[in-house]
Amino acid sequence: MASKNAASGKEKLIDEEQEILQAVVLADSWNRRFRPLTTKKPRCLLPICNAPLLDWTFESLALAGVQEVFVICRSYSEQIKDAIKKSKWSRTGSGMKIVPIMTAKETYSAGDAMRDIYTRGLVTGDFILVQGDLVSNIQIDEVVRVHKERRKTNKDAILTMVVKEAGVQHRTRSRGDSPIFVVDSETSECLHYEPSFAFPKKQHANIPREVLAEHKEVEIRYDLIDCGIDVCSFEVPSLFQDNFDYLDMRRDFVHGVLTSDLLMKNIHVFVAKDGYAARVQDTRSYESISKDILSRWTFPLVPDDNYPGSERYQHTGGNQYVAKTHPATISRTAKIGRNTLIGSSTRIHDNAEIIGSVVGPNCTIGAGSVIENAYIFEGTTVGAECRVTRSIVGSGVEIRDGSTVERGSLIGDGVVIGPGAKLKPFERLSVPWKAPASTAGSDEDDDEDSDIEDIEASQDTVDKASLGPESNAVVWIDKPPEDDDLDSPENYNNLKYMRLGEDDVTLDVHHSDKDTESVVSEEQQLQDSSDEEDNYDDHTDAESVVSLSKDTQGGLMADKEFRSEVNQSLERAFAEGHSVDNAAVELKTLRMASNVPLIRVKEAVVAAIVEKIPVLEGAAEQRMEVNKTIARWGQLINRIGGVDPVETISLLQRHISTSARMSLFGQILAAFYQTDVVEEDDIRAWHSLSTSQGIDLPLGEERENMGKAWIVGAHMIHQLDQQSDSEEEGSDEDEESD
Amino acid sequence: MQAERGQHHRSVEVLASKLRRRQIVGSRTAALETLVVLRQVVSRARFSNFEQLVEIIRGVGRRLVEAQPKEHSVGNTVRKVLHHIREEYQTAVGQTGPQAGTSTSGFSISKFVLQGQPRRHVPAQKTEVKTTLKEDDPEDPDSFSKGLKPVLMEAIQDVLDELETVYDNVSKNARDHIHPDEIILTLGRSKTVETFLKTAAHNRHYTVIVAETGPSYDGREMAKSLSSAGISTFLVPDSSIFSLMSRVNKVILGAHVILANGGMFAITGSLIAATAAKAHSTPVVVCAGQFKLTPLWNLYHEYGAVDFGNPSDVLGFNEGELVNKVDVVNPYYDYVAPEFIDAYITNDGDHPPSSIYRLLKETYDDEDNEL
Repeated sequence: MASKNAASGKEKLIDEEQEILQAVVLADSWNRRFRPLTTKKPRCLLPICNAPLLDWTFESLALAGVQEVFVICRSYSEQIKDAIKKSKWSRTGSGMKIVPIMTAKETYSAGDAMRDIYTRGLVTGDFILVQGDLVSNIQIDEVVRVHKERRKTNKDAILTMVVKEAGVQHRTRSRGDSPIFVVDSETSECLHYEPSFAFPKKQHANIPREVLAEHKEVEIRYDLIDCGIDVCSFEVPSLFQDNFDYLDMRRDFVHGVLTSDLLMKNIHVFVAKDGYAARVQDTRSYESISKDILSRWTFPLVPDDNYPGSERYQHTGGNQYVAKTHPATISRTAKIGRNTLIGSSTRIHDNAEIIGSVVGPNCTIGAGSVIENAYIFEGTTVGAECRVTRSIVGSGVEIRDGSTVERGSLIGDGVVIGPGAKLKPFERLSVPWKAPASTAGSDEDDDEDSDIEDIEASQDTVDKASLGPESNAVVWIDKPPEDDDLDSPENYNNLKYMRLGEDDVTLDVHHSDKDTESVVSEEQQLQDSSDEEDNYDDHTDAESVVSLSKDTQGGLMADKEFRSEVNQSLERAFAEGHSVDNAAVELKTLRMASNVPLIRVKEAVVAAIVEKIPVLEGAAEQRMEVNKTIARWGQLINRIGGVDPVETISLLQRHISTSARMSLFGQILAAFYQTDVVEEDDIRAWHSLSTSQGIDLPLGEERENMGKAWIVGAHMIHQLDQQSDSEEEGSDEDEESD
Repeated sequence: MQAERGQHHRSVEVLASKLRRRQIVGSRTAALETLVVLRQVVSRARFSNFEQLVEIIRGVGRRLVEAQPKEHSVGNTVRKVLHHIREEYQTAVGQTGPQAGTSTSGFSISKFVLQGQPRRHVPAQKTEVKTTLKEDDPEDPDSFSKGLKPVLMEAIQDVLDELETVYDNVSKNARDHIHPDEIILTLGRSKTVETFLKTAAHNRHYTVIVAETGPSYDGREMAKSLSSAGISTFLVPDSSIFSLMSRVNKVILGAHVILANGGMFAITGSLIAATAAKAHSTPVVVCAGQFKLTPLWNLYHEYGAVDFGNPSDVLGFNEGELVNKVDVVNPYYDYVAPEFIDAYITNDGDHPPSSIYRLLKETYDDEDNEL
């Protein structure tokens, strides 16, 4: 019924109140952080607190009154489809219609999925976009209401991101992907989005100057959890369609929209005060969200209340939850600690100890075993006298007597280890891959197959003695890939920060840095990081760290290239007498192409204009030339976007201090003033800037010239003062500066 | 038939999921919603004898209670409806039953426990046997339900009316309980208590002390509402309840659930207030509608019964580092044992805790205690 609407009402606008609320769930993660647990099933069907992640997501959406959900599946789409068909959501009276959408294998990113949504014409109006690993009790309908309200006055507000306030050190906040949001406090418009990873570690956040200039109050926040809930307008998928290079929702789309001068769209942020929302985006957050659920932060989404799974749990002191309908058999001498969930029909033998863990249904925990902060899926057997610490153990695993599973281990479905196995921390095990085994094989793409073959091929080099004599496991070797992309959160070292059980992460990476020197060798160490507390080598990604003070020094290859391109383009414009508008468009395109900040373009333009003025002998002719050039080209400075006259003057001063045309500063400034490129107030504002005096520069000609220019400016202000005092209409402002 | 069943099934499911998601909270709202759903179910139900009808209603009740076992007023409403329906059924079907019942049994202590309900109980089973024989018409199975439906709707309407007037009926004797220039202490924001106090203010001049009642701080709203009604009101922090108790003449509390033993569940902080009152021998009076009476004796043995809520009311989620180190326990209710309570003021008169069980027997039928 609703899909018919989809066909008819693409252009329909959003004012009707009774319009049904749609949601799109991206059920693929496009990364491999949970491997090998996810070699045979999709991540969104992994259980968290014994209910599949996808069900938690659906429940979160149901809480918001969503009526229609599209689930975009890529890998193992058949499994997801089955799971949806079997779940309680497909029964009558669930109030939510769930439509699984199979997308092509070639969907490699969230961006591709969005393009798919566009081509299929799934959404008819504003919709909620969430990831298939969301656990939330936020009233998203409230966000939708705010979003729609905003859309009534501002048609360009296309997206509202839901974020949750949390401390920087909050357990649920991802270490590996913790962006910086710059938000207008009044309108909660997101002004800038800066991705930040644990590795390479960011030392500087680069906030465009326009952001600070154009908004009265700006919040720069590093304490937010990005919940991955977006309220999108219907044009969002089409924007993805137009910009085929957008891959990631945040790093490409949000960043792209915000930095674009052409799109002129706004993105807003909704800081959720009440409620809980987080994504199970890595094994680390898997642990913290499990703990959040057990300590009831997600209320009423807790095991004894609005639990998405079918089992009912009884809540007892210390946040212990035991299945009610098919109770577990727990020995009298077994110790059950706080924040523990024990699934139905599970048997726990004498003297076993279970602390802060989730044990799935139909498991057996042997006598005297200790399960600490571990997450054990369905039907797993742990023998006697075993120890499992901070690990995730898949379903149907057998851990035989006397084995030890150290922190951070991931054990795939069906693995057998022991007896007496001793796993190293962060060991990853799976069963051998049988290529023609099942239909699941056809679901895999070749890429992943080769990956698994690699793992299997390298088994000979691995010492398997520690896995115990009866083991059937293959070991996943942890080695940095040759082509590590430091711009992506999936880089080798950054992934370490997302692992379960990583406590001393700084130390660990520090050590491993020594082995992987080649990866990071070209990066320089910053001197100014001595005040940083951690002992971890501070590497910076040279491109992303562009602090304002260093702008004019340039020094980067890309930057030089860009500069010469700008100069060429301007020369052409000067020579061929282009109109200012055309020249501005050309520059904008150039800027888009090479992705440089606005200030660079401006800098180049100011420099080019100054250099265009011929140096002449006579003072009068000289002045004529200056005025002529500025009158013709001065407006170009403001046309290229981001009008900021104070910056213009600063750039002029900077440039001229190192140029042969130092003596022309006063005249050029005056010409700027006359052609309205700058106003009187701007000159004053520039003059009062501390950097304008050039005191912070090293001694030398540049500093001297900066000082001179500043004095010229002072003169000029003085003169302007006199002018306004006596109400003269003097147009002749250039003076004895030479 | 199929479609019909699906239809009313649907309204039940919608309410069940709303209850489960806590989109409907508060005893009275839940009770009202339950009644609306029951009315729909009964009006569409097809049954050829009385047992079938009872089973349909019970089925709905079971489903709703299972969805949210902590909202007891849902189950209570279903029980109440069943009770009324039985009564109406008996009067509609034949007058012979009641006489037969009372004549055989009569009151005696030895039979009292067995029979449970001292008044008009026994007839129920007897007449049922008779009437089902009479009414279960094989030729026209619908005739029974057609004949009975208007009466049933009336029975449900009675319960609805009672719910709608519950605040006024609880408050009708307010002036007898509050004396001039008394100082009353209360907690939280119970609609019943609020109406009670406001009604008393028409005739009496008195002072109310409202404790803030963390972590919900409903007391603040309560204080605002009372003072805007012209009652002299003080808002005090929870910590000062004990020190102020010596000046307080009476503690008036609201209830979430009243148990058969005379104890009750009420908003967190009630136990502190009641204990402080006991220490000063200050009377504790509980205002509650009859629909809060729950035929359960030992709910307080169940750990989860006090409804542990979200820790974020107590500890902000943004206290990042603490969250990992602290386990926050945030029960929504306190269990207040019967020995702390002096009287219940209900819409069915005033009762000491020790006679609550009797009130229960009169309100519900024994066979419905387990839905």
